[in-house]
Amino acid sequence: MKQSGKAAQDIGNDTGKTAMSLRKIATELLAKKAVGLVIGYGRSPLGDAVPLLVRRAEDAQALQWNQHCTYNLVRYLTDPEVVGGPEARGGGDGSGGAKSDSGKVAVVVKGCDLKALLVLQSENQVQRERLTVIGLSCPGLTDEQGRPLSKCRDCPPDVHNPREELCDLVVGGPVSRSGSETEGQQARDHDFRDVDEIEALSPAERRVLWDGYFARCLRCYACRNVCPLCYCKECVFDQHDPRWVSPAASVASNRSFHLIRAYHLAGRCVDCGECERACPVGIPLRRINRKAAKVVEEGFHFRAGLDPQAKSPLVGFADEDPQEFIE
Amino acid sequence: MSEKTGDVRQAGEASAKERNPRKLKIVGFLCNWCSYAGADLAGVSRMQYPEEIRIIRVPCSGRINPLLVLKCFQEGADGVLVSGCHPGDCHYQEGNLYARRRMLVLRSMLSYFGIDERRFHMSWVSASEGKKWADTVRSLVEDVRAAQAEAEAGVPMW
Repeated sequence: MKQSGKAAQDIGNDTGKTAMSLRKIATELLAKKAVGLVIGYGRSPLGDAVPLLVRRAEDAQALQWNQHCTYNLVRYLTDPEVVGGPEARGGGDGSGGAKSDSGKVAVVVKGCDLKALLVLQSENQVQRERLTVIGLSCPGLTDEQGRPLSKCRDCPPDVHNPREELCDLVVGGPVSRSGSETEGQQARDHDFRDVDEIEALSPAERRVLWDGYFARCLRCYACRNVCPLCYCKECVFDQHDPRWVSPAASVASNRSFHLIRAYHLAGRCVDCGECERACPVGIPLRRINRKAAKVVEEGFHFRAGLDPQAKSPLVGFADEDPQEFIE
Repeated sequence: MSEKTGDVRQAGEASAKERNPRKLKIVGFLCNWCSYAGADLAGVSRMQYPEEIRIIRVPCSGRINPLLVLKCFQEGADGVLVSGCHPGDCHYQEGNLYARRRMLVLRSMLSYFGIDERRFHMSWVSASEGKKWADTVRSLVEDVRAAQAEAEAGVPMW
């Protein structure tokens, strides 16, 4: 995987420069042994942007940054196969500070990925002081055909550039997307319009719509496995006793699966869109997650991924919580 | 069998169905400290209410995992009720307040997927509210029956 050629798909000179400074920073961090691992983007033999784990300074030249770098690399920060168990991550006995720096990890994040990291921080799943967060300004990503990703079309301007106060390093200058400032503002003003569209349907129509999607679901669990916030050691969908949801890919059990998946993300999902991208049968999973986000926002006035201290509203309560639905 | 007897029998079946609709299966999760005691009071006070509810006693409404509710629907329940102490009365101080948030999200998601909202109720019933318990079950059964009638005509329940 050692490739040093200039990325053919860099988005103009700016991202080319960004990739160069990224390689330089990664080389330095690894050479100084400030970190033992850099999680970034590389290139597969077929030319796709893929996650790349760099452990040696001389391999850092393979790091890439272009408009296909969609993966949310925060996913790896809770993966024991990548960063080791809780002890290697500095947890466990609480003597994290005494551990060597080689256990430290640097991770490359876009603005949308950073929000997922903040949720992991708030849930004590990562030790922030053992991470070096390298923020990248993102001009918007595209799919293989060059069309902007749906999550990037809706991306508000304050997410294009990762919040500097929450990163250790920011590579590349702030970007402003041509014409997208106004679009982003519109997106914010008309937040959840995709959810509203479905809510406007009659219950029977909603049922037909979703059952159509659930009939396609293969229960491959790609949506769960790619999610940076699905880190439970044993997932309820893998439990055999009790078996909450049948593993058979029937409409009824798929409906339960998708409902519970979204429920477990309510107040936590940062809409990074990885589940929808990973889905092999094209289920609009963001519209499910965003419904839960809408309920949480309207009911409990909370939006996930803004504050590394804020807990999900579903692990708390307030006296003035809505209860019109209760008899 | 002549055509005439067939007609008569069908008409007889239809009216029997009208008089005696299929018994519903409704699962009620009741907290041990308030709602279960409230249901008990309704019982010892000999209040009449539909027998179509099956009561499951749980320590607290905060014990109710949404998976329990979904499991009921999956296994063929026609409706589910979650009932706990009034806010401020929880035996564990705040369990019902967690439940309130959870059930709001669950109910909204069910409705988003096109599951009839009338099939899932939540109520606050205290130990002294035997009458309220009987009323709650009556309105629940009415709601579920209405939802069921629509479901039989069109989209199935789950």
